[in-house]
Order: sequence, then structure tokens, then C-alpha cells
Amino acid sequence: MSQWMTLFNKEVLEMWRNFKWIWVPITFILLGVSEPLTSYYLPQIIKSVGGLPEGAIFEMPKPTAGAVLASGLSQYSTFGVLVIVLGTMGIIAGERKNGVAAMILVKPVSYFSYVTSKWAGSLLLVWISLFIGYISTWYYTGQLFDWVPIGEFFQSFALYGLWLTVILTVTVFFSAALLSPGLAGFISLALALIVSILSGALSHLLEWSPSQLTSYAGALLTGGKLPSDTMPASLTALLLIVLFLWFSVFLFKKKELAA
Amino acid sequence: MELLEGLNWGLIAPLFIIQLILLIVSFVDLSRIEKTNGPKLLWVFIIIFVTIIGPILYFVIGRRND
Amino acid sequence: MSLIQIKGLKKSFQGNQVIKGLDFKLEKGKCIALLGPNGAGKTTTLRMLSGLMKPTEGSISFSEAKKDGDIRHLIGYLPQFPVFYDWMSGFEFLQYVGKLAGLTSKEAKERSLKLLELVGIIDAKNRRIGKYSGGMRQRLGIAQAIINRPQLVILDEPVSALDPFGRREVLELLERLKKETTILFSTHILNDAEEVCDEIIFLHNGEIVESGTMDDLRERHQQAKIDLIFHRKTEGMERTFRTHSLTKSILVDGNRISVFVTNVESARKEFLKLIYEKEWQLDKFEVSSMTLEDVFMKVVGK
Repeated sequence: MSQWMTLFNKEVLEMWRNFKWIWVPITFILLGVSEPLTSYYLPQIIKSVGGLPEGAIFEMPKPTAGAVLASGLSQYSTFGVLVIVLGTMGIIAGERKNGVAAMILVKPVSYFSYVTSKWAGSLLLVWISLFIGYISTWYYTGQLFDWVPIGEFFQSFALYGLWLTVILTVTVFFSAALLSPGLAGFISLALALIVSILSGALSHLLEWSPSQLTSYAGALLTGGKLPSDTMPASLTALLLIVLFLWFSVFLFKKKELAA
Repeated sequence: MELLEGLNWGLIAPLFIIQLILLIVSFVDLSRIEKTNGPKLLWVFIIIFVTIIGPILYFVIGRRND
Repeated sequence: MSLIQIKGLKKSFQGNQVIKGLDFKLEKGKCIALLGPNGAGKTTTLRMLSGLMKPTEGSISFSEAKKDGDIRHLIGYLPQFPVFYDWMSGFEFLQYVGKLAGLTSKEAKERSLKLLELVGIIDAKNRRIGKYSGGMRQRLGIAQAIINRPQLVILDEPVSALDPFGRREVLELLERLKKETTILFSTHILNDAEEVCDEIIFLHNGEIVESGTMDDLRERHQQAKIDLIFHRKTEGMERTFRTHSLTKSILVDGNRISVFVTNVESARKEFLKLIYEKEWQLDKFEVSSMTLEDVFMKVVGK
């Protein structure tokens, strides 16, 4: 356990030194907050730019607070995913490629701890960034539109967190299985995209797909009710996380460290 | 000007500060790092001139860890 | 008492056999040099010993390995090109590996300071490793290899990348280290091996061509040798000596002909007579025994 903590502390410290603790949360704030701001000010901007003919009555339905918050949240399933994958793809592959993994793993370090401490470090970053970004979005939405109940905020936060954790774990898996960070990132992104599109298109068949968690979170915010398929989708997500993490350790153990 | 008056500065100002932090941090990092993907000078320009996205782009793809 | 026993060790890469069956033992407390030209298979052998690579065939058995075969607590390893977390300071890195190797925070701190002192980079302890020079990195590499007082320290070409100055310092460091632990290090430079080590394993094309203590080797290869340096080498010289009845073998290097002979006394007379008769212009005539350099050349040359 103390060895795991040593490894984990190193991950946390590294993210301070390379400023991940600063730029990732800020990115998540900017991504989310831009949504309520633009929906609120867009009519004014259009009016002041004067793109409308004289005398035209400018009428734009004011979106509900839930819809604004939902679309702010949806930023995280696109740009947020991109940031997570690109930031995580080198986590193991990078260390193995440059040889530092061999320096560390000739010491009596457990492979399980090595992989899971890295995963846990990134996990912490993702959840904290998501929380900071999303609560800011919620606050801005409340200020400019209306207050969304805090319970709905937390539920939708958890669902998104779960989906982003799936993405993170898949990226860690490919980073452990492949020697190239770039390839690991590409495959993870492609996989996330395919699963999202497929689950979206076949939502009546794949209602248990973890990527559907994002639409269920949106449904909660706009409709006020959580779809009944949330439970199976969450369970699938949890199962995938455990499986991919386990396979990461398994595959990594089998690889020769010196290439 | 009518547009500027309508703005809620209590909400906008924090974003400016955050953006400034991002800018400073990316410059500090750029000055410390040995190698970037692509020329360093290019990243200096991207960080300065591409608002918000520039620093983020730098961190996501400009940094080289090996 | 032997620390490790290696039996029939083989390694292939894509069907290409690089290590062709090694058998040797390492005794506790010795310093052993793995000597051989580039491409002999030294790095591959060391990687297998350190557990970073799996042998294709054969076995490596440590007498004190754990039940599951884990030997990592017993060894310290320095790769040919050590890599660190460049964002850490030297002090931080040593403490980090120390804790990973099972030391408590306090122990790791004390041990790190001691080692930084020992390898002579204590002044740079708080500097980022990214700013270290090649020599400093090598020394930090040695320090991290011995942080947990391993029974066997494996060093892959520890001095090859250094300038003469740094090389001297690292060799002296090894000399000191020798008193505390078993050292196995690879080099392609005979002098380095000769200077620090008691034992040598000659590796060539993935095979051990010769091994033993320095004294053993000298004795075994002790042969009377006559070095002849001519002003100008002419046709026939080489053939004359090669076919001479007293000659066992010869080595030719430019104007120098080294002849290994069966009987020094008669060879001395015969050769001088021969040279006088043929009117070959002789610059130097020397009777000597074989040096390790000669052993190395001879062994690698065959």
C-alpha cells in the first residue's frame, strides 16, 4: 500500500509540475461556461451587429435553464473527451518508449500498482476538472437563466463522470498494450466515436451502452426525469472499467520492458 | 456600446482572469520545456494570438514529454 | 558461494539467435566484467539477468530469489542510456526509487543524501535532472542502482559514454563499490575491465569464448611471444615466420609481427639468424609474454 501511495503521489506531483492541475480544470470551465454565456448574449450580439432588416421583430425563444446546462455538459463528451484522451495516451506507452518504465520496474515494483496508480492519478484529475468545470457552468446558468436543482446537477455529474472514466480507462488500456502513444490515442478516440455513434443510432437496441449515459444525463436536465435505462448503462460502464483496467495490468505484465 | 453595458461583469471578469492564468502558465511551461512538437517560436505566437484555444492547444499537442 | 547460476541461456529475436547458450556462475562479492566487442550480446545478456527480457531458452537461478521467481529486490540495474523523470530533481528521484524499493521515507532520504555524496553530485541535488550533464546522469544512474543495497549490481557500459575524466571518476567509484557488493558490468574496453575486475567473461557473437580470473587467463594464455617490428615489411616475411618450425601462431599488425613460439631460447637464436641472413631491417626485437590485450585479440579473432 505504501508503495502504491508512493507511485500515486508521484503522478499527482507530476501533474503539478506540468501544470495539468491548472490547465485541465480551466479548460473544462471555459468549455462549459461558454454555453450559457453565448445562449444568453447571442440575441444581443445579433441585434447590435444589426444583421436584421429594419423593423423586423427579433424573436428567439429563451431556452430553459436545463437545456442550457445540458448543452454545456455535452461539451465534455466531445472536447472533454479529446482533452482526456490526448492527455492520457502517453501515460504508460510514453514511459515505456523513453525507457523510464524499465528504470522503475527493475525495482521491486508491483505491475498492478504501477498501472493502477497511473490510472487513479488521471481519474482524480478528470473528476476534479469535470466537477470544477460543471459547477461553474451550473452557476453561470443559474445567474443568467434559472437555477437547476442541485440534485439534478449531481446526478448528471456522476453519469458524465462515469462515461469519461470509461474513456480514460480505455485510453490507459491502449497505452499499456501499445508502444506508441499516438496510436493508443487514435484507437481510443476512434473507439469512443464509433461507440457513441452506434449507440446513438441504435439507441433502442443499445440502451445499456455506457455512451448513452450522456444522453440520459441530458434527458434528466431537460425533462427532469432519469430514464430507466440509466441503471443498466451505469452497470455496463462499471464492468467495462474493471475489465479494461484488469486487462491493462495483464497485458502490461506480459510485455518485455526492454524493446 | 449598448452591448457592453448589458454585460454582467461579475460573470465575465472571472473568465478573463482564468484566461490570463492559462496564458501565464503556458508561457512558464514553454520557457521551461526543452523541446516542443514543432518550433518553439510558433507556439509563442499561437499562445499569444489564438485566444483561449492557443494555450490549451499548446498543452494538448505542443508539449513533448519524452 | 554462488549468487546466480546461468544455464544454457539463449535468446532469439525474430528467429535470429543473438545469445547462443551461455553457462556461468557469479560468485558473491566479486567484480565481473562482461567483455566483448559491440554486438556481442552483452546488453541482451544483462537485460535477461535483470529480468527486463525473458530468455528464449535456459535458466537464470538466483540462490535467494523469492518463491514466485521475482529477483528484483536482489539486483540494481543501470541501463546503457539511463532515463529519469527529467522534471524531478536528483534528490527527489533517488528518494522516489528508494521508497519504491521498500525503504521508509526517512531511510530513503538519508540513503539518497549519502549516495549523492558518494557519487559526487550532492551540489546538484536540487537541480532538475533535465539540466544534468551526461556524466551526472551516469552517476545518478549508479546511485539509483545501489539505493536498496542490492546483492548484485548490473551496469551496462557504465563508462563508455563518458569523457576520459568522467570515466576515471566512475571507475574509481566502482572500485569503492566493489567492497560492498557483487558487480557485473559490461564493457568493450579491456583496460576498464582489467582495472576494476577480478574476473572476466569474454563474449563474442553470443557465446562465451573465454572466462576466468585475470590471473587464470594470463596463465592459461601464457605463451612465449616474440614481437618483431620491421622498418619495412617485405614480401615473404609473414610467410617465413608463419611456416617456421618453432612457430605456433602469428599475429600481424602493420609492420609488427608477433610470433608465438614453442621454445623461446631456440626461437631467439633462429629468428635473429634468419633476419641477419635475409638482411631484413629490424627496428625492434622483443621477447615477452602475452598481454590480456593479446588474449582478447586472439579470442575474438578466431
